[in-house]
Amino acid sequence: MATKAFVAQASQPEKFRRVYVWEFPVRLYHWVNALCVVVLCVTGYLIGRPLAITYSSEAYQQYWFGTVRFLHFVTAFVFFFNFLVRLYWGFVGNQYAKWSNFIPNHRAQWREMIEVMKVDVLQTRVQGLITLGHNALAGLIYFLSFLAFLFQSLTGFALYSSMSQARLPRLFAWITPLMGGDFAVRQWHHIFMWFFIWFTLVHVYLVFYHDYIEGRGTTSSMVGGWKFDSDKRDEK
Amino acid sequence: MGHSIPTIWESMQAKGYDRREFLRFCSFAAMMAGIETAGFSKVVHALETQARPPVVWLHFQECTCCSESFIRSSHPLVADVLLDSISLDYSETLQAAAGHQAEKSLHDTMQKFAGKYILLVEGSIPTHDGGVYCTIGGRTAEDILQEAAKDAAAVIAWGSCASHGCVQSAKPNPTGATPVHKLISKPVINVPGCPPIADVMTGVITHLLVLGSAPELDGLGRPKEFYSRRVHDTCYRRPYYDAGLFVESFDDEKARKGYCLYKMGCRGPVTYNACSVTKWNGATSYPIQSGHGCIGCSEAGFWDNGPLYQHLASFPGFGIESTADNVGALVGIAALGGMAVHAVSTNVRKHELLVQGKHSEPKAKE
Amino acid sequence: MANRIVVDPITRIEGHLRVEAVVENGVITDAYSAGTMVRGFEKILKGRDPRDAWAFTERACGVCTTVHALASVRCVEDALNITVPQNAELIRNLMFCTQYVQDHVVHFYHLHALDWVDVVSVLKADPKKTSALAESISSWPKSSPKYFAELQTRLKTFVESGQLGIFANGYWGHPAYKLPPEVNLLAVAHYLEALEWQKEIVKIHAIFGGKNPHPNYLVGGVPCSLNAEEVNAVNMERLNHVGSLIKQAKEFVEQVYIPDLMAIASFYKEWAGYGGGLKNYLAYGDLPTRGYGQPDYFKFARGAILDRNLNEVHPVNGRDAEEIKEYIAHSWYRYAGGDNLGLHPFEGETEFNFTGPNPPYEQLNVEGKYSWLKTPRWKEHPMEVGPLARLLVSYAAGRTDVKQVVNDALKQLNVPVDALFSTLGRTAARGLETLLVVHWMQGFYDDLIAQMKTGHTSTFTREKWEPSTWPASAEGVGLTEAPRGALAHWIRIKEGKIDNYQLVVPSTWNASPRDGNGQRSAYEASLIGTKMAHPDQPLEILRTIHSFDPCIACAVH
Ligand code: HEM
Ligand code: HEM
Ligand code: NFV
Ligand code: SF4
Ligand code: SF4
Ligand code: F3S
Ligand SMILES: [Mg+2]
Repeated sequence: MATKAFVAQASQPEKFRRVYVWEFPVRLYHWVNALCVVVLCVTGYLIGRPLAITYSSEAYQQYWFGTVRFLHFVTAFVFFFNFLVRLYWGFVGNQYAKWSNFIPNHRAQWREMIEVMKVDVLQTRVQGLITLGHNALAGLIYFLSFLAFLFQSLTGFALYSSMSQARLPRLFAWITPLMGGDFAVRQWHHIFMWFFIWFTLVHVYLVFYHDYIEGRGTTSSMVGGWKFDSDKRDEK
Repeated sequence: MGHSIPTIWESMQAKGYDRREFLRFCSFAAMMAGIETAGFSKVVHALETQARPPVVWLHFQECTCCSESFIRSSHPLVADVLLDSISLDYSETLQAAAGHQAEKSLHDTMQKFAGKYILLVEGSIPTHDGGVYCTIGGRTAEDILQEAAKDAAAVIAWGSCASHGCVQSAKPNPTGATPVHKLISKPVINVPGCPPIADVMTGVITHLLVLGSAPELDGLGRPKEFYSRRVHDTCYRRPYYDAGLFVESFDDEKARKGYCLYKMGCRGPVTYNACSVTKWNGATSYPIQSGHGCIGCSEAGFWDNGPLYQHLASFPGFGIESTADNVGALVGIAALGGMAVHAVSTNVRKHELLVQGKHSEPKAKE
Repeated sequence: MANRIVVDPITRIEGHLRVEAVVENGVITDAYSAGTMVRGFEKILKGRDPRDAWAFTERACGVCTTVHALASVRCVEDALNITVPQNAELIRNLMFCTQYVQDHVVHFYHLHALDWVDVVSVLKADPKKTSALAESISSWPKSSPKYFAELQTRLKTFVESGQLGIFANGYWGHPAYKLPPEVNLLAVAHYLEALEWQKEIVKIHAIFGGKNPHPNYLVGGVPCSLNAEEVNAVNMERLNHVGSLIKQAKEFVEQVYIPDLMAIASFYKEWAGYGGGLKNYLAYGDLPTRGYGQPDYFKFARGAILDRNLNEVHPVNGRDAEEIKEYIAHSWYRYAGGDNLGLHPFEGETEFNFTGPNPPYEQLNVEGKYSWLKTPRWKEHPMEVGPLARLLVSYAAGRTDVKQVVNDALKQLNVPVDALFSTLGRTAARGLETLLVVHWMQGFYDDLIAQMKTGHTSTFTREKWEPSTWPASAEGVGLTEAPRGALAHWIRIKEGKIDNYQLVVPSTWNASPRDGNGQRSAYEASLIGTKMAHPDQPLEILRTIHSFDPCIACAVH
């Protein structure tokens, strides 16, 4: 794969140069998505297990549960369209945004995954390969998370279809009988929330881990788009 | 016509329907029966000349509660339905004849009114072990169903048993209890509920006979007229739900004020039925109004969505009280623990790399 | 010449019952009763939450709906040592009584009456005479000549349509029908009125349990709250509704059911000599007045009568491993320890073992297994259960209100106590206990109002609700009296889940196949000796079998 990275001239550490990895749409997508997921998990959890709140007021005086649900639904729409944008960008974005990063259809990607397992997860090897974009294992996990996004959107809109007259949710009505009724759809929709929670925990930890180990600004890369890369690598 | 009881055609005329509408009704009946155009005129003829459409009510694996519900109908009264609207030619619960004489009633109707009788089925059909778990007159339920369905003009599945399999099909479904629509190739009108509301039952029948049109069915074969809304959508406790005011325990202060039963496991938000609008027993009440959550009795497989007093089903393999949340939180904690271990391990294993700065240069990806 | 006749389906019952009777010279010499449908409740319940069991078991039957729910919550409460608040007991009693009144009236008019009433002969009746008769036996307002004349016209039109519906192929004109046309017309009028009335009384179930059939129950109490200050709870309006329904029920039973029963019975006194069958009677008793823990204060007494000896009532204990056992010698099941064993329900097993004949079949193999019912025995005795057993046990136990109602009826019909041991006795007992029950019901209602007056409104006890408060293992038995007789559920709970659950149902006692020792159960025993006018028309079989009010979905479950 040819490297099309921009090489920045300023503020460059001795051995590293700046590489523009995450294009603006990817970064925007990422943070909108991150925010949506957090909001959806919190509101979703509350929908599933409402708080026991005090009841000094009458029902007509408050609407907090309705508001929580409203937030969930509004966020759901943002989440869904944001997700569609990212799907599109997988076709037109730079090499780090492309679908080929996510779907392990080369033997090399599988070999890389084993290597990442050895170096980063099991730590049977102290150091090893460092990639600019996602490593193959991360790519696969992101791919799975895209599938989870899709699943969550399908089940969410299927549930929403029976309480909405809007056209979009109605498009998903067929999913409910397919999955055996609203109860089952809700159960799965709820269970998948946990995937997002686990994903976020591990994901954020790993971002910090890579930053710590590699010292090349992994965390901030999703803000500014730049990562650091070693010149020596190119020399090799 | 010489009958003092009006035929369907006559009573439709009296109600101001014209002949075209009558034919449309007949074409529905024919469609339900899967009858070709050639046989179609017979149905028209049947309804025109038959004072009361013949009806056959079969019982298989059930608790007769659908019949019991049916006789609770307050509008119309069941006595009026039985004497004036239909001719209930076979009903093990109500008919005078037994044994051979009862079977004769069934066969008479199936022969004399082939393609013209309405078949009502209460109960599921056991399919395991050759159907030995339900026999009548020495024959299996499936055998009887197939014979009766063959020439029926319309088939209605009463209740959750006939529509979904209900309690006997709950895990492990020891007898292979199967709903009607999975066994016959004709369209089936499913009227689920355990039991269905009496007035919904008579409503479905009279819709067919009086309005002269098919009740519009949803993807699961249920008349939209009664099953297009969730109990929750029109529940009178809905304002408490939106306000976030929930019962926390039976007969607590909140229960005594009639707050929403969501946290007591109410299945109203995932259950399609007319309970909160039509209500039960002459609109006297419905489960939620009397303090118990909806158990989802009109939904397929609702028995295995338990425990009842929990909002979500138990997580398979994790004991009775485990919701997805308990399992999820456990896995989350495990993940945090794993991360802590990993973090420590990183600092130990990669100590040199980190502190002594002994970076051997990384390998390039490409 | 012996001839085995088969009646399948037995109609106007609940469930799938088949009777094969051996008829010799027009008299039944042996009989076999078989339940031909099974669902496997006891298998399905394993591993579930004990607090949910009531909802499952309630679906054993929609005719005696609620009684399984009651037995179920009681067995769980027994296992977990829960005492429900007094209001819950009162509300459960009210629901219990409602069930009796509705079920017994429907049985009498819609399931049993056509055995005695010739519908077709109604056309020959003189409405004026019917009116005079009606007015002579009751103050029920609907009894004018015009009323009966209009009904007669309606029936005439019906019959002339040529579509007899549920009356098609009935045994009309059979010599065993003895009522004059006028009585038949009265009975048919009340057949229709009862159909309309029965849907009213069950509104009590809807008020306390949300719906009928299959109202809601709750382990630890009842789900509805009592709150006179709240429109969302059982308040004064709801209670008034219950009160007026009880009043209506009393009127209907006193002015319609009982007069009709007595009028019809007086034409069929010979049936006081048939259908007695077994001589042992069992009742668990019910309608607690001082809590479920004190059976001595139940309205219906608990106990067993052996050999029709009304001078001795034997104590009954559902937990005693030596008292109640179920056998499967002639039932399509298999016991791990061998098919000749009897198992107490705590140890009960439910393993299907169909041994034929394969359908379609003409006759059962009565030498081997021939029914889906198990065969329960009390201290190895076959027992009859039901309204008759209940009245006899309470009578023998000296309950004064029961004694009075029974003695009055015997006097009115001018028959001795022995007349009770019969087909007619069973049918009469059902009516008499309905009369008792509507009166008791008023008492429970008054007690409930009194409770509210003094500010006692609790309907549920929450201490043992959470499974974390339960012992690691527990076992309990819930006894009740269903309309058809003694009903009990046994539960074993382990680690918060159902480890074993067994139902022994009234119709299981009565309709079961014989045991390994050849002792017949109630149905089979009661048919022996019955004369049949036309063996191909099983009217006499229907009379005796219907006098038990069979419920086979219950019996097999
Ligand atoms: C990361 C994404 C999402 C998460 C984590 C999430 C989480 C949840 C959770 C936990 C529940 C409660 C389920 C229960 O216990 O009954 C819920 C309910 C629901 N969600 Fe989502 N959700 C997500 C996305 C969506 C999307 C895209 C939609 C689309 C409209 C949606 C629509 C709904 C609806 C309609 C409900 C039911 C609300 C009700 O009936 O009151 N969700 N969600
Ligand atoms: C403090 C919070 C977060 C930080 C610092 C962060 C940072 C990052 C970084 C640095 C990457 C690039 C990783 C790589 O080099 O492979 C990334 C990718 C990604 N992150 Fe996050 N992230 C955060 C929260 C989240 C959350 C809550 C989600 C949603 C569940 C999320 C979803 C993703 C996804 C899907 C990608 C792949 C991006 C793509 O290629 O489109 N992140 N994140
Ligand atoms: N046998 C029986 Fe039942 C009653 N009564 C219940 O326990 O009818 Ni369905
Ligand atoms: S659907 Fe429910 S109520 Fe109807 S027969 Fe089945 S179990 Fe009984
Ligand atoms: S009680 Fe049940 S159906 Fe009614 S609003 Fe609450 S959750 Fe919905
Ligand atoms: S339990 Fe059934 S009766 Fe209605 S409220 Fe729920 S669908
Ligand atoms: Mg049993």
